[in-house]
Amino acid sequence: MAWYQVKGNETDVVISSRVRLARNLQGYPFEERLTAEAATEIIEKIEKALGADFKRTDMADVTPLMAESMVEKHFISRDFAKTKSPHALFTNENRSLYLMALEEDHVRLQCILPGLALRDAYQFAVEADERLDAALPLAFDEQLGYLTHCPTNLGTGLRASVMLFLPALTERGYMPSLTHQLTKLGLTIRGLYGEGSGTRGSLYQISNQVTLGLSEEDILTKLEETVNTIIEKERKARVLSGEAAAIREDRIHRAEGVLRYATRISSAEFFTLFESLKLGVALGLIDSIKAETLHTLLFHVLPATLTLSEGGAPEDGAARDAARAAYIKRVLEDKKL
Amino acid sequence: MKCQVCNEKEATYFYEETVNGKSRAFHLCRDCAQRLQAEGKLSLKLPEESQPTFPDLFGDLFGLTRPRGTKPQQGKSCPDCGATWREIAAGGKLLCPTCYETFRESLSGSIRSIHGNVSHVGRTPRAFSAEAERKNKKASLKEALTAAIAAENFEEAARLRDELRALDNQ
Ligand SMILES: [Zn+2]
Ligand SMILES: [Zn+2]
Repeated sequence: MAWYQVKGNETDVVISSRVRLARNLQGYPFEERLTAEAATEIIEKIEKALGADFKRTDMADVTPLMAESMVEKHFISRDFAKTKSPHALFTNENRSLYLMALEEDHVRLQCILPGLALRDAYQFAVEADERLDAALPLAFDEQLGYLTHCPTNLGTGLRASVMLFLPALTERGYMPSLTHQLTKLGLTIRGLYGEGSGTRGSLYQISNQVTLGLSEEDILTKLEETVNTIIEKERKARVLSGEAAAIREDRIHRAEGVLRYATRISSAEFFTLFESLKLGVALGLIDSIKAETLHTLLFHVLPATLTLSEGGAPEDGAARDAARAAYIKRVLEDKKL
Repeated sequence: MKCQVCNEKEATYFYEETVNGKSRAFHLCRDCAQRLQAEGKLSLKLPEESQPTFPDLFGDLFGLTRPRGTKPQQGKSCPDCGATWREIAAGGKLLCPTCYETFRESLSGSIRSIHGNVSHVGRTPRAFSAEAERKNKKASLKEALTAAIAAENFEEAARLRDELRALDNQ
């Protein structure tokens, strides 16, 4: 099962936790100077170091549509999907680990878990990092830490991030001020999905900006404490009473109705409806849908993944909207999900 | 004014600065500014207002933030990958791990501006932690040896000397 199909903690506010480690092999140059032969050699060394419980996927064998679907599910980065030279993905789904061999760095090792689980994600990533460390000379400097292609990742090479669902804070207009405060703490927040200034679905990602001079423990603690504060604030902001609560409840059930019965749903409309439905589930107004089901929906209705599962031409808007509506209906009716 | 990164959207961020008498200005759209920030490419801390400040995105990342008075290590090239300082400064990224050692001095200013005046703490590869342990042990043995000699405890000094020799031969 993919990470978003598994039950997590605090999923009324937190969608997922992700930890990423950047590592490079001593003795090999970075991408601009790396030959195809050396790239292949690196991939083989990584494969050996990781062991048999990692599945190797050569990206040359992956169609652009499949690669895009992997991007949508956060398994790989968009840059990695577009790389031309030899590159491979190593996955261990039991550990929720996705290792990109030859992204910007030789190794981008990431673990994504549902809900708030930064410590577990870090632990799983470290287990894989230890295998690399035992078998390969990793590029490291006592002062600069793990040496990375871009100096912004030096030190721990750790980027920890949490994907948050913040409809109440968004609605109350707190996001600009929150963004400002997080920046001062050395954290970055960005809206996921959506163009321009709008964010769709009130979905955000918070991550650490600085990687050098703070230990992994410090980075995780700071992010975790901040996220816990935000969770508390979001939950408080969700408390409504009287007419405001009644209006919201009506909106939530309307959204559920449209998602269950409409026959064409665009991607933009989906995000709006998803926001209401997710809030309804979080508030206990809808108890027939689990958080995991919602998250599965979220990642499976994006264009490439939807096209892969439902077939058809990805550029046909109307057909895709119909396929999306049909898929959503099916998932919401399936009690086993 | 179009954004200078995507060349599509309207630039809403304007950033200007003067370093060593040289002025630079950048126009960025909100999306690109946010994306660059999210990708960690806005390496300088954001100021009080929402105006992001950052080194030149299109090169000269290191030249821009080089502390006053230091000269780029020109003429030098990386023994492992052959990179010159000019190449690295133009791309904003290093070309191999050894480049960090080769251009340590030139890089120190920009690394400070990204992360602050700090050294690495945290996880260390096995090979390095073993080496660090060896160094620490050697230092404490040497200290003990000096103390033993001062105390005219020659038996103990001989034992410590053997231990040190064994460490050296590892
Ligand atoms: Zn732009
Ligand atoms: Zn080099």
